[in-house]
Amino acid sequence: MKLAVYWTGSCGGCDVAFLELGPALLDLLPKLEIVFWPALVDAKRADLEKLPKHGIDVALVNGVLRTTENVEMAELLREKSRWLGAFGACAHLGGVPALANPGEGIAEVVFGPGFRPAPPLGEAPEDAPPELLPEALPLEEVVPVDFVVPGCPPPAGLIARFFAVALAEEIQPGQVFAAEKALCEECPRTREERRLARLVRPHEALADPTKCLLDQGMVCLGPVTRGGCAAACPKAGMPCTGCLGPTPKAGDPALAMLSALASLVRAGEEGEPAFPEEDRILEGLVDPLGTLYKYAFAKYGRPLRRLARRRQEVRA
Amino acid sequence: MSGFEPRIVAFLCRWCASAGADLAGTNRLAYPPNAIPIRVNCSGRVEPQWVVEALKAGADGVLIGGCHPGDCHYVAGNYKARRRVYLLRKVLAELGIEPERVRLEWVSATEGARFAQVMSDFVAELKRLGPLHGNGGPK
Ligand code: FES
Repeated sequence: MKLAVYWTGSCGGCDVAFLELGPALLDLLPKLEIVFWPALVDAKRADLEKLPKHGIDVALVNGVLRTTENVEMAELLREKSRWLGAFGACAHLGGVPALANPGEGIAEVVFGPGFRPAPPLGEAPEDAPPELLPEALPLEEVVPVDFVVPGCPPPAGLIARFFAVALAEEIQPGQVFAAEKALCEECPRTREERRLARLVRPHEALADPTKCLLDQGMVCLGPVTRGGCAAACPKAGMPCTGCLGPTPKAGDPALAMLSALASLVRAGEEGEPAFPEEDRILEGLVDPLGTLYKYAFAKYGRPLRRLARRRQEVRA
Repeated sequence: MSGFEPRIVAFLCRWCASAGADLAGTNRLAYPPNAIPIRVNCSGRVEPQWVVEALKAGADGVLIGGCHPGDCHYVAGNYKARRRVYLLRKVLAELGIEPERVRLEWVSATEGARFAQVMSDFVAELKRLGPLHGNGGPK
C-alpha cells in the first residue's frame, strides 16, 4: 500500500502516535510503501507533484489548516490520493489550534499592528512564510475527506484497526474509526446520576477512583463523545475532553453537553428560591468554549462565531 | 437601522405560554407580529440545538416561553429550561453574540396582556441590538 502522511498546523503528536503500535509495526512496515512523510523520509513537495494522479493509495493528513500553504498541500494530496483521511482531532474538527479562531487578527495581537509575514533578511519575497488564513479550518472545509481516524492523538487501537481495514481495501466512504456509541459505554466508573451541587475543574479535586467523574462535578464529555479509546483519560482520573469527536447522536458537543449539565445541576429543592444558587454553580463552568469545544470549535462553533464577526464588520 | 423588523422564533410551551399567546389573540391585543411561534410541550423540551439552529437560519432572536415557577405541567421542565438558557447565553456571549438575543419568559395561560408586553419588549430590544445577520438575512 502506497502511504503518504502529512502534517499541517499540528503539534507533531500525531506523527509520533504511530509508534504506539509497538511491535505490531514490524509486521506492518513491510506492507507499506512510504511515498511521502516529512517527519520520516526525505521527500519534498516537488516529489509529490511528480506523482501521477492517484499515485498514493492512502494519504493521512494531521493538523488544522492554518496557512495558505496548508491548503495547497491538502489540495495536492487530494489530487494524488485514492483515499484521503483526516488523522487526529485537528484535521477532523479543528482541534486545539482552532481555538485561535475566536481571536480577531491573532497575528496582529501577538506581533503588533501591521504584521505581515516577511522573507528572511536578504531573501526573495517568495521565500516569506505563507500567509495565515483568516480562520483555522478542519480538512473537510477545503477538500473532500474520505474517512477519519480521530483522537488527540489517535489511540493505538484505532490506528491498528485503520491499517487492517485499509490493507484489506475495505475502507467505507465517510468511515470514522471510532465507536458510534458514547464513551460512557466503555468507562469502568460507576454512575449514580447524582445531582451536581458544584462543578470542579480537574486540578481542584482529587477524583474518587471508582465513581463517575461527572457525578463528582467534573465536566467530563464522555456522554457526548465517541468511544474507542477504552476510556483512557477517565481511567487515569481525568475527565474526557472530547478528542474523538461527538457521537452522531450528540451533534454539536458543546450544546449537547450544556444540556446534560443543565439537567444535573441542583441547588437543593428546585424552585425560584434556588435560582441564585443554581446560577452560582453554573458559573463553575469556567471557559465554556475551551472546555466544551476543546477540539470541535472549528467544525461546530465557527458558524456562529462567523455570524458574530460579520455583524461586527457591518456595524463598524 | 430604520425599517429593521427583527425576526423572532418563539418556542412556546403548550400549557402556559402558548395559551397566553392565544389569549392575547382572542382579546384582540395589539402586539408586534415579528415572531414565528412554535408550540412545544414544555419549555424543558427546547434543545439548545434548536435555538442555535434558529439563529443560524436567520432569526435575530429566540424567545422561549414557559410556565411560571411552580406551574410547569411536567413539574420541573421550566427549571431545566432556565439552567439551559443560562449556560447557552454564556456560550453565545463568548462567541460574540449578544446573549440578550435568547430570552426566557414565564407566561401563564391567563396572561394574554403579559404575552403582548413580552413580545413588544423583545422586539424593542432586538431593534436596539440590530440585525444578527448584518446583511438583512442569512446567505
Ligand atoms: S409545561 Fe410549560 S414550562 Fe413545562
